[in-house]
Amino acid sequence: MSIDVHHVTKRFGDFVALDDVTVSLPTGQLTALLGPSGGGKSTLLRIIAGLDTADSGTISIEGTDATRLPAQKRNVGFVFQHYAVFKHMTVAKNVAFGLEIRRRPKAEVVARVDELLKLVHLSQFAHRLPSQLSGGQRQRMALARALAVEPSVLLLDEPFGALDAKVRKELREWLRRLHDEVNVTTVFVTHDQEEALEVADEIVVINEGRVEQVGTPDQLYDEPANDFVMSFLGDVTSLGGSSLRPHDIEISTSPVLAGGVEGEVSRLLRIGFEVRANVLTIDGEEVTVVLTRAHARAIGVEEGSTVWLTPAVGAAVVPRMKAVV
Amino acid sequence: MTSALLGPAADFAGEASTGRPPRRRRRQGPRNTLTPGAGLGLGIAMIWFSLLVLIPLVAIIVTAGEGGWSGYFDVLASDQTWAAVQLTVTQSLLVTAVNVVVGTIIAWVLVRDRFWGKSVLNVIIDVPFALPTIVAGLVLLSLYGPQSPLGLEWANTERAVMLALAFVTLPFIVRTVQPVLEELDADVEEAAASLGATRATIVRRIILPSLAPAIAAGAALSFARAISEYGSLVLLSGNLPFRTEVVSVRVLSFIENGNTQSAAALASVMLAVALVVIVGLDIVQRRVANRG
Amino acid sequence: MVEVSTPVRWLLRAVAIGYVFFLVAWPVSLVAVRTFEDGTSTFLHIFSDEQTVAALQLTVMVALWAVIINLVFGVTISILLVRYQFPGKRVLSALIDLPLSVSPVVVGLALLLVYSGRTGWIGPSIEEAGWQVIYDSPGMIMATCFVALPLVIREVVPVLTEIGDDQEQAARSLGASARQTFLRITLPSIKWAVIYGVVLSLARSLGEFGAVKIVSGNVTGRTQTATLIVEARYQNFEQGTAYAVAFLLAFISIACLIVVAFLRPSHES
Repeated sequence: MSIDVHHVTKRFGDFVALDDVTVSLPTGQLTALLGPSGGGKSTLLRIIAGLDTADSGTISIEGTDATRLPAQKRNVGFVFQHYAVFKHMTVAKNVAFGLEIRRRPKAEVVARVDELLKLVHLSQFAHRLPSQLSGGQRQRMALARALAVEPSVLLLDEPFGALDAKVRKELREWLRRLHDEVNVTTVFVTHDQEEALEVADEIVVINEGRVEQVGTPDQLYDEPANDFVMSFLGDVTSLGGSSLRPHDIEISTSPVLAGGVEGEVSRLLRIGFEVRANVLTIDGEEVTVVLTRAHARAIGVEEGSTVWLTPAVGAAVVPRMKAVV
Repeated sequence: MTSALLGPAADFAGEASTGRPPRRRRRQGPRNTLTPGAGLGLGIAMIWFSLLVLIPLVAIIVTAGEGGWSGYFDVLASDQTWAAVQLTVTQSLLVTAVNVVVGTIIAWVLVRDRFWGKSVLNVIIDVPFALPTIVAGLVLLSLYGPQSPLGLEWANTERAVMLALAFVTLPFIVRTVQPVLEELDADVEEAAASLGATRATIVRRIILPSLAPAIAAGAALSFARAISEYGSLVLLSGNLPFRTEVVSVRVLSFIENGNTQSAAALASVMLAVALVVIVGLDIVQRRVANRG
Repeated sequence: MVEVSTPVRWLLRAVAIGYVFFLVAWPVSLVAVRTFEDGTSTFLHIFSDEQTVAALQLTVMVALWAVIINLVFGVTISILLVRYQFPGKRVLSALIDLPLSVSPVVVGLALLLVYSGRTGWIGPSIEEAGWQVIYDSPGMIMATCFVALPLVIREVVPVLTEIGDDQEQAARSLGASARQTFLRITLPSIKWAVIYGVVLSLARSLGEFGAVKIVSGNVTGRTQTATLIVEARYQNFEQGTAYAVAFLLAFISIACLIVVAFLRPSHES
């Protein structure tokens, strides 16, 4: 395992940012730390990088204990949400910074900077100042700067959080391709579940300072460990005391399936090709069901009609622990 | 070290709590985030600051206190000193009032008006900050003194005191109001206009209230500077007892007569005014910061 | 944005320009006129007057020391105030501004009470160790340091706050030591603020009068600075010399101002 986090706890005053977190992040993979804002994921990333220190617990990177190592000695690449570009240096100087600190020979620095700028498609901007670049370009430059020192791990803190939606989407795909090319162990923090599902090999869901679940995007989506993971990764409704996804509910106008729950359609809403039905069951439960428009028409559901609901075969179902919004 | 760190997790809790404090602050809190190097820097800086500023200022208060309340009272009750205090406070208040009006107008002109030579005006505003005070006195003497091209003979009068104070305090309100006026949201004024407010109403109800904290801060600084002024008055006011002698000149003559205790008593009063101004400013700034 | 009607605009403009013209511009320009009334001889004469030259040299020496000390102290305190949390920080931050509102006469008295060789708190022991503070250059440097103390800090603190510590953290994650981070990242980012602070401190230091007058003893040819010479010569009815030295001081301080005014806009954003 590339990064091992062992029983890490971190408090800011009374606020517990990380509560006894233990997690291992695999070598060579692209891992996402996913969770709501303020859940502790950025703090964990900063502790791995050595920018913050844990109150207790240990961190090891590539098998060596890094708990007490200062950030300078950890050999990690860190990419900040707001780029943290060195404003007074050109793009090339920014990328060269880590190499110059390590006193590499000049020719090597020039060659390496050249190579990296090509990799991030910024060769033609080498001698510009960061203020002349767009946000997406700055973030690519920051990425090249972090990669220049050949870090054992690359850490990205909400790398696309400050960019607009379109650039965000482009960079997301680009990061995936870059990772396949460079193959460095990469960890990125995000609060956007779509971003995590699309890009990551593995996702660590963090909430209120605790790890909720670790797994591949499919595992998380199909076998969520609990209510929280399920609701964070997509829409959730409840049926018969269990949480499940609205499109995982079979709806029929007659009690054909065993164990169907009877209810009345209180509201029917068409959104594009989908139909969203709110059903009030005889147990007094409000259930949301999503079905295609063709299916809705075929079985003839309307507002006020009586229907029977059953969980679809193979649906991801978790016991309902608390009210889910 | 390394082997110790590879021990059971329970040990780490103990290690970390006695270990180095965190290097960076991420959230506000009354914590100590000094690294050993920064702590050393703070220590040296504080020793210097104490030797230069704190201990000497404490010496004034202690020396002033040596005579007890009666010593204080005797100093202030002397006719000459009381006249100096009255003159200084009256003239400082007058000058501050002038600054509130004229300083705000100048700031307005610098921000909202456009004319040839505005940038020159902008630089001239700072001249009183940069000019040595003794030179300021001489400068004013050349226009308002004995050989005045205007035929004004204001040297050695109360007017000279006011003139000198107005000169040295000119930049305060201009420079505190100017940035606030620049930042003022044009939207708000336009919104007020769209709601039917006249120009005068907008100025009175929208602009002036937003400038009020800045004007107050500038006025406080300007008053504090005025009551402590010395250099520009030396040549201009003639330092005539009961007529043009200000508090700082009184302090100086106490020092020159070797009467350090009276000097310290009067100086401690000036110091108290300076402290009140500083604390007041701090409070105003915090209020404004919280509001916005 | 409120558009003022034309007559009001002209009125406000006239008040602003008129006030500044009669209070500052005209009087200041008259010093130049007085100095060069009889050609350049009066002005050049000050450079052949032994006492004046000694005073100018002393002024420059004292000002340079004060600026260097305030530069180091100011940058250190600024970084501590912006980048670290420690008990008493808020009090320190308020106290730092105190020298701006303390009368120069009070500053002089305060230093006298502590460092006077005869009656001061610690002055006699320092004198026994072979140092004289009051009535000598160390005291004059301290007085000058005191009055110009906050100028560097007031320039640097807002810039440090504005740039944040992102760049410094990035440098650390790239392997830069604390020293390398300061020299290669922090210092270049606050460079212009430091330069403004130094120029303003220099102007203030060259022109200090009241505090220096008290701690220097105003000994002609030994502890008399340029500003003290202006006073002495004017009261001695040598107005020519007084105006010439005043002109020189005014010229330097206004030059400092103009340097700052022209540097500032091109490097801010």
